Amino acid sequence: MANLYVRAAPTTDLNRNTEWFTYPGVWSTYILILFFSWLMVLSVFACSPGMAWTVVHLFHFLVTYHFFHWKKGTPFAEDQGIYNRLTWWEQIDSGKQLTRNRKFLTVVPVVLYLIASHTTDYQHPMLFFNTLAVFVLVVAKFPHMHKVRIFGINADQ
Amino acid sequence: MIIPYLTALTTYFSYGLLFAFGQLRDFFRKSVDWWSASTLQGYAPICLGLEDFYIRRLYLRIQDCFNRPISSPPDAWFDVVERVSNDNNKTLKRTPKVNRCLNLGSYNYLGFAAADEYCTPRVIECLKKYTPSTCSTRVDGGTTILHAEMEECVANFVGKPAAIVFGMGYVTNSAILPVLIGKGGLIISDSLNHNSIVNGARGSGATVRVFQHNTPSHLENVLREQIADGQPRTHRPWKKIIVVVEGIYSMEGELCKLPEIVSICKKYKAFVYLDEAHSIGAVGKSGRGVCELLGVDTADVDIMMGTFTKSFGSCGGYIAGSKELIQYVKYTCPAHLYATSISAPAAQQIISSIKVVLGEDGSSRGAQKLARIRENSNFFRSELQKMGFEVLGDNDSPVMPIMLYNPAKIPAFSRECLKRNVAVVTVAFPATPLLLARARICISASHSREDLLKALEVISTVGDMVGVKYFPAEPNKQQGQVKVD
Repeated sequence: MANLYVRAAPTTDLNRNTEWFTYPGVWSTYILILFFSWLMVLSVFACSPGMAWTVVHLFHFLVTYHFFHWKKGTPFAEDQGIYNRLTWWEQIDSGKQLTRNRKFLTVVPVVLYLIASHTTDYQHPMLFFNTLAVFVLVVAKFPHMHKVRIFGINADQ
Repeated sequence: MIIPYLTALTTYFSYGLLFAFGQLRDFFRKSVDWWSASTLQGYAPICLGLEDFYIRRLYLRIQDCFNRPISSPPDAWFDVVERVSNDNNKTLKRTPKVNRCLNLGSYNYLGFAAADEYCTPRVIECLKKYTPSTCSTRVDGGTTILHAEMEECVANFVGKPAAIVFGMGYVTNSAILPVLIGKGGLIISDSLNHNSIVNGARGSGATVRVFQHNTPSHLENVLREQIADGQPRTHRPWKKIIVVVEGIYSMEGELCKLPEIVSICKKYKAFVYLDEAHSIGAVGKSGRGVCELLGVDTADVDIMMGTFTKSFGSCGGYIAGSKELIQYVKYTCPAHLYATSISAPAAQQIISSIKVVLGEDGSSRGAQKLARIRENSNFFRSELQKMGFEVLGDNDSPVMPIMLYNPAKIPAFSRECLKRNVAVVTVAFPATPLLLARARICISASHSREDLLKALEVISTVGDMVGVKYFPAEPNKQQGQVKVD
């Protein structure tokens, strides 16, 4: 594994906040982080695997909703605030819709939902929360929701 | 660039962990601050949202690796002031102690950064005669005969009919691009261009498009697409198209693929703007930069820009082009009309150093310096690559970044090298892409062979300790020692 090399192709994305997502290894890191957090939840709470997947799914929903669809702008000031009205999801791939990265990021919560519901045998309180989470996340990633702020929530002054 | 896969995964994971810890500390700080009363009721916050997150939670942790103060001229060996911190790197205080370190970070390509036997007496005489500041803009009272002589000297050196010099290199790019092109024009710039070019392009009001770094085929695609589309919304033809590239990219050490880019621009009738900040005076047989090295006729490059801070030991930047272009710039550029002109001793340093490089001072020191920097760069780069480091950059380029990747290796490499009296510059996000943090080494003509060997030894030891030898090392051929088995 240590001898496997990848080539990093130069990107044309000038936005330093999102261009790290175009380099090789990001998708694998994301999936590995989810898997290891499942193992950690299992070892800390000593619950059933299904409950652990539900916990991971809901925690993933909270974290990704907050950082991808709620927080706007970039964590540094060098770009003089040109992205201050855009959330991270609206910034990646310079706003182009339906690219490979966006499709991958839409599929991950759906796959997590399927795993969580299957391992809890589709039982009630977990199924409701899981479905709500995946519904909100997938709708937020639709191309039609680009720069849309429903009822003015999270809009600027 | 070739990255080991495991390193890519661990780098993402490290940044994720740093980000998570930063967010956690911010959360607690916000909760604690909510309870304490603030003296600034009703004022708007200075930073919007997360704007200063990177500075507060990532940069401040390793702050002692950047902004190190020095207390001697940046020659091959210099004095680095030691700093201590009582609050875990949030603030640093200078101590009276200094360390004598080997300088691998200054842009001192030809060794003019320290006192020079031809330049310094002339500069001191000029300082006594003309005083440090001209106290005026070029158009009012700030043009001395030195300024006129300097511009002629620069134009001859670069190989263009005329040149104009400004007091600051950054300002040259950011004040010239708005003058040359405006709304309705198109600027196509390399994706790794310097911040001054990005700033000037944004300030000009023209449409900016980016092409993949040093890839002439992608430049051709972007040109064809943009020329076919025309201006945004009206689809009228573009008023003018300028392609901006750099001679040597300071973070990669790579030379620009100038012959292909110039031929593509000629084919599609776009102007070429070449920023030779790092390559003027450092590459080429007589130091005339990347055009001489790659065999491109200077008449094909429309606007040549450069700075005097790197190879000439002075300050300021220049633009060289046709006589009509320079005359036009003199009427319109705000850096010429409203900014104070370059200081007279600095102008004298430029004139003297160009004379030394061309051999007009009567000695062959210029040619020796150029040969030495070429030899030093090639030797150092090949030795580092033999040891197994991933070093970027082409042959003959005096800038060589050593890839570090993981965020924890940046302060480790920097601090361990400083402990062994070698000062290196490490560069991280956001100056470079997130994954690709590096330590950038700049070789100088004033480094002797012993200095380079010491540097190689230290870097090799630190590299083993920190774990940055990503490529397999080549087997060691004994250098002059005979091993008896």
